[in-house]
Amino acid sequence: MIEKKIKCPSCGYETIIQGKVGDSKKIICPKCNKKGFFEFSKEKGTKKIMDKPMMLSVASLTKSFNGKKAVNNASFSVHKGEIFGFLGPNGAGKTTSIKAILGLLYPNNGQILIDNQNLMHDEKKIKEQVGYLPEKVAFYENLTALQNLEFYAEMKNANKSQCKPLLKEFGLADAMDQKVGTFSKGMNQRLGMARAIIGNPSFLILDEPSSGLDPRGVVFIREKIKTLNEEGVTIFISSHILSEIQAICHRVGIINKGSIVAVDDISNLQNRLQLRPKLVLILETVKKEFITALELIEGVFSVKQEKDALEVFCRKDVKANVVLTLSKKKAKIKDIQTMDPSLEEVFMRFTEADAA
Amino acid sequence: MNIDKLQTYIPSKSVLLIAKKETMDNIRNKWIIFMTGVFAFLTLIISYFGSFGGGWQSVGLTIAGMMSLVQYLIPIIALMLSYGAIVGEIERGSMSAFLSLPVKRFEIILGKFLGLSSVLAVSIIAGFGIAGIIIGINVGEINIGEYIFFLLSSILLGMVFICLGLFASSFFKRRSTSMGMAVFLWFFFTMIWSVITLGVASMIVDLGSIATGNIPDWYYAIEMINPLSSYSGLVSINIESVSNMGQQFIGTYPDFYSTPLLTFVLLIWLIVFLMLSIFTFKKRDL
Repeated sequence: MIEKKIKCPSCGYETIIQGKVGDSKKIICPKCNKKGFFEFSKEKGTKKIMDKPMMLSVASLTKSFNGKKAVNNASFSVHKGEIFGFLGPNGAGKTTSIKAILGLLYPNNGQILIDNQNLMHDEKKIKEQVGYLPEKVAFYENLTALQNLEFYAEMKNANKSQCKPLLKEFGLADAMDQKVGTFSKGMNQRLGMARAIIGNPSFLILDEPSSGLDPRGVVFIREKIKTLNEEGVTIFISSHILSEIQAICHRVGIINKGSIVAVDDISNLQNRLQLRPKLVLILETVKKEFITALELIEGVFSVKQEKDALEVFCRKDVKANVVLTLSKKKAKIKDIQTMDPSLEEVFMRFTEADAA
Repeated sequence: MNIDKLQTYIPSKSVLLIAKKETMDNIRNKWIIFMTGVFAFLTLIISYFGSFGGGWQSVGLTIAGMMSLVQYLIPIIALMLSYGAIVGEIERGSMSAFLSLPVKRFEIILGKFLGLSSVLAVSIIAGFGIAGIIIGINVGEINIGEYIFFLLSSILLGMVFICLGLFASSFFKRRSTSMGMAVFLWFFFTMIWSVITLGVASMIVDLGSIATGNIPDWYYAIEMINPLSSYSGLVSINIESVSNMGQQFIGTYPDFYSTPLLTFVLLIWLIVFLMLSIFTFKKRDL
């Protein structure tokens, strides 16, 4: 698979297209609707991209409000079958990006493909396979939970009989005939999640799925997300709860001041930032030979002494070897603490310019 | 144009589903139930007391007595129903989830228009209908054709103002601004319009001659553009009692005031503002 940036000969609108070498692709300019063909050949300007099938591909997305760029040339993709975490500080452009993906606002530039289809041309077809939980969950307050859910089911051409079991699953069995206007924030959030998965979508976009939920609710939603993913649903999550993202996401994308600053899996990002797991060993006495022995282990990056403690920065898989080596040297270990670098550290490092 | 492309412009069952939801969501609105009661109550009051102690009046005379009241009430109900239909959902947050469904924006406007029109029609038919039945029982003789014509014209007038409200709702970014616009539109058509047209007329002809019923045709032509005037003209020329009473106060309508022309004026308002609402909402960022 390769991608190529092309320019519309009629209006000059720039867009990125994807295809295989030898493919001939029919293109319709999203801005002026001019039609044309493009043949993919091995030429300059084409970039090889990962061969995994993509559920979402965002290329050069730009959106300005009153001349200020909320999202600036953002490109990233979500592979089929993965859980993708989308992170960023407040006002970084997360919700704007999500709204552009769903066609709720019109980007100034860029191309968005969902399952290789352009939302501008196949809107209804694409939206049938997408489920969405917005950051601000709201319903029709004069209608009951069941009536609300049945409306969304019918609009998605889904079977209305799904609604009652779904409400039961989300702990709303007793409230299904209650008007939604009387619901608490947590109940609204559960109903919002039920609405997102009605019609069995293959792609779920969740904006702050744990918002307003009690700890039991948070665990329930997390497990539900994992189960859905195991069933083959691709999931895109935007969340402020980094521990939640770290626990369930395969890859993350970090957006800061409208630009994508990193897209990778968490351990690769940690490696890029040289964030290493830290092993702290409290010993009865620290001897020089202990440090020398530890420094010889492959996978140990550095060893520091802090009074009667040794701080060992190493790969995850050599932690046991570190302890074994000290035991062989007859070191008396009083306590062991391991500290893995968190996603929080990755997030802080990639967005530190913003904090400053 | 190929068939696939053509299909994207044909309203699907989504429009009917949205209309059904909109009706269900609004019909329980306590304000609408209250206004339906007000319609029935005022109709009965006007019918019974309108003749100053003479007992029940005929339906025709009741309609004649109610005309000015209806011209104030129906636009405000229609505007209050519609001013928040789009911007209210955007502010509340439900529009994002709505637009993530397989639905086109024009279908949302059409669905909301049909749903809100149904709510208004139910309110008008229930309010005036109940009153009509009570009057019919007491008066004995009732011209059903005239009464149905009055109800249908009133519904059409309401639909015009629903489209005006929908446009304000699609155009403005805040619900409060849209409400302000709805209030302005109500004032404009019920009060300001007549002041402007009379002002223009007074610059050209002697006001005294207008007061004596000697009104030039061009004045009627300008007046007809106001949907409220088209509506009152439509009811007047089709319901005898209203026409007789109108002649006493405002003189005879000119010959070009015909049912097709006045209906056409109302339909033009409806179609233009429905299209403008669709166009504005389609271009809008959420």
